[in-house]
Amino acid sequence: MRACRQEAEILWNREIAPGRYRLGLEAPAIAAGANPGCFVMVRASGTGAPLLRRPFSVYGLIEERSGAIGIEILYRVVGPGTARMAACAGGDRLDVVGPLGRGFRLAEPSERVVIAGGGIGVAPLVFLARRLVRKRGGAEGVVAVVGAGCENEVLGVDEFRALGIEPVVTTDDGSCGLQCRVTDPLGGYIERQCPDMVYACGPTAMLRCVAQLASKHRIACQVSVETMMACGMGACLGCAVESTEPGVYLHACTDGPVFDAGRLRL
Amino acid sequence: MRQDVDLRVDIGRLTLRNPVMTASGTFGYGGEYAPFVDLDRLGAIVVKGLSLQPSAGNPPPRIVETACGMLNAIGLENIGIEDFVRKRLPFLQRLQTPVIANVYGKTVNEYERLAARIDGVDGIAAIEVNISCPNVRAGGMAFGVDAAVAADLVGAVRRRTAKPVTVKLSPNVTDITAIAKAVVAAGADSVSLINTITGMAIDVRKRRPRLANITGGLSGPAIKPVALRMVWEVARAVDVPVIGVGGIMNAEDALEFLIAGASAVQVGTANFVNPAATEEIIDGLSDYLLKFGMRSIREIIGSLET
Ligand SMILES: Cc1cc2nc3c(=O)[nH]c(=O)nc-3n(C[C@H](O)[C@H](O)[C@H](O)COP(=O)(O)OP(=O)(O)OC[C@H]3O[C@@H](n4cnc5c(N)ncnc54)[C@H](O)[C@@H]3O)c2cc1C
Ligand SMILES: Cc1cc2nc3c(=O)[nH]c(=O)nc-3n(C[C@H](O)[C@H](O)[C@H](O)COP(=O)(O)O)c2cc1C
Ligand code: FES
Repeated sequence: MRACRQEAEILWNREIAPGRYRLGLEAPAIAAGANPGCFVMVRASGTGAPLLRRPFSVYGLIEERSGAIGIEILYRVVGPGTARMAACAGGDRLDVVGPLGRGFRLAEPSERVVIAGGGIGVAPLVFLARRLVRKRGGAEGVVAVVGAGCENEVLGVDEFRALGIEPVVTTDDGSCGLQCRVTDPLGGYIERQCPDMVYACGPTAMLRCVAQLASKHRIACQVSVETMMACGMGACLGCAVESTEPGVYLHACTDGPVFDAGRLRL
Repeated sequence: MRQDVDLRVDIGRLTLRNPVMTASGTFGYGGEYAPFVDLDRLGAIVVKGLSLQPSAGNPPPRIVETACGMLNAIGLENIGIEDFVRKRLPFLQRLQTPVIANVYGKTVNEYERLAARIDGVDGIAAIEVNISCPNVRAGGMAFGVDAAVAADLVGAVRRRTAKPVTVKLSPNVTDITAIAKAVVAAGADSVSLINTITGMAIDVRKRRPRLANITGGLSGPAIKPVALRMVWEVARAVDVPVIGVGGIMNAEDALEFLIAGASAVQVGTANFVNPAATEEIIDGLSDYLLKFGMRSIREIIGSLET
């Protein structure tokens, strides 16, 4: 997977829920090497502020008969960089570097897996589910739980359904699905079914809880983590994450962003 | 290719094919940028700061963006000189581009041992001594903030190596020309400046520092005017080549430093924003010479009219 830089044309940039956007980018060279869990660095601003690129997981590939012609990003507006992105329109160009990082290891078709996404954390998980389903020729043995603050913030449900996976939905305020934490039904499922693999992406508090559940039941667990990043390619060493080995840091952009949960001190 | 202009510059005994180097800590050990840059076109590659032993660096968060720049408190994480020589240098040795080893220690003795170790290594063209690190003997005060301490250190390094020595100056001082003169008197073949400017940022909602280390080093466009002023002052104060560093994002920025008196420049934070920044700057320098009818980049070094 060789990273490259492309001036990608924006194919679409649609607000699918308040402050949540799906951004389609024409970037064949990046799409060619992208796999679930990898990310891209987006320069949102041309030449002005913000200065640094922003990291985003690849949400999916844009496929045509000729092959993958681009990538999709699912993002939430939280600050100046994402606000700049939201202001872009179809036909504009964005400077994108990728694909970067180490993605998810795909479970074998015989393994039962559960996918847990919190809020915008579903972004890399839909792509993952698609590849899992393709590899096993169906959705059998793939379970998903997605959680968010409220109904508006629940993402990815339609995409999981289209793959034949009916996700369990939770919200903090009960406006959609179960009123609880995403880790509640996840914990119940793990207890009852003892799956072979847990995949998770979301806020750090959620990942910590998922990792504890998996470790308690001795289940393999891969998590995608977020850190501040300046370069995205192993040069700045700014993206350090604490490992379980004292005094050893891992780097989210090159060792991750997907890690075996057991390697991290979350 | 633009072969009709001469971009070569001399940094003491070292002749570079062009004045554009990478700044330590912003270009990894070189190979990280191979997908984006033709490494053979660079003037020189300065690698991440190396210490005698591997170093894990500071806890996260280590970086935060600030207005027109960024703060970092990486804590000089690196693989150590031995692993560098064994695992990373062979790749760099296959390039045409000179490799400059940036080094740091906590005691004079550590610097001396680093200089002695590198002295015998083929494929390292020069040593850049980072004197901005805390001196454990002096209660953690940086080597680079006191002229006598800095001169002692550089003299000690000088005695341990025949390779060209450049000294990377800290801007966190009252009079940078005093430090520059002292290290040149102690045997520095050139000086590079500036390292990052100490700063901090606070998350007002949590009322906590944004960096785990509380303070960090500011880099990027925000520091360019300060760096330029210091380069201009130092270039007039010493008679060795000066390497300009700080906020250089494009060829015009690089030209400002050359005109102010720098014989070469280092590109740092710009690599994160645009991984091809170094090559684009090299092309921009050629374009400038062509446009203004000059044949050699040497014609513009120190050509400031006041
Ligand atoms: C590998 C990776 C993949 C990511 N994938 C996605 C994705 O698919 N969709 C998406 O919406 N976001 C994703 N993010 C997070 C995204 O990079 C940040 O939201 C974005 O950088 C914010 O930029 P900004 O300028 O809008 O806000 P900023 O002003 O930079 O930040 C606004 C607030 O968000 C916090 N913040 C900024 N960056 C991060 C970060 N990386 N992690 C945690 N908190 C942060 C800041 O501390 C601040 O409080 C990912 C991050 C990483 C590291
Ligand atoms: C993430 C980061 C790491 C750095 N690491 C080092 C280092 O190891 N040794 C050193 O001498 N300077 C280091 N620097 C300083 C740069 O080499 C340079 O002096 C400074 O960033 C100013 O240049 P810039 O504005 O172009 O980035 C580092 C800077 C950054 C941003
Ligand atoms: S983001 Fe620069 S090393 Fe990971």
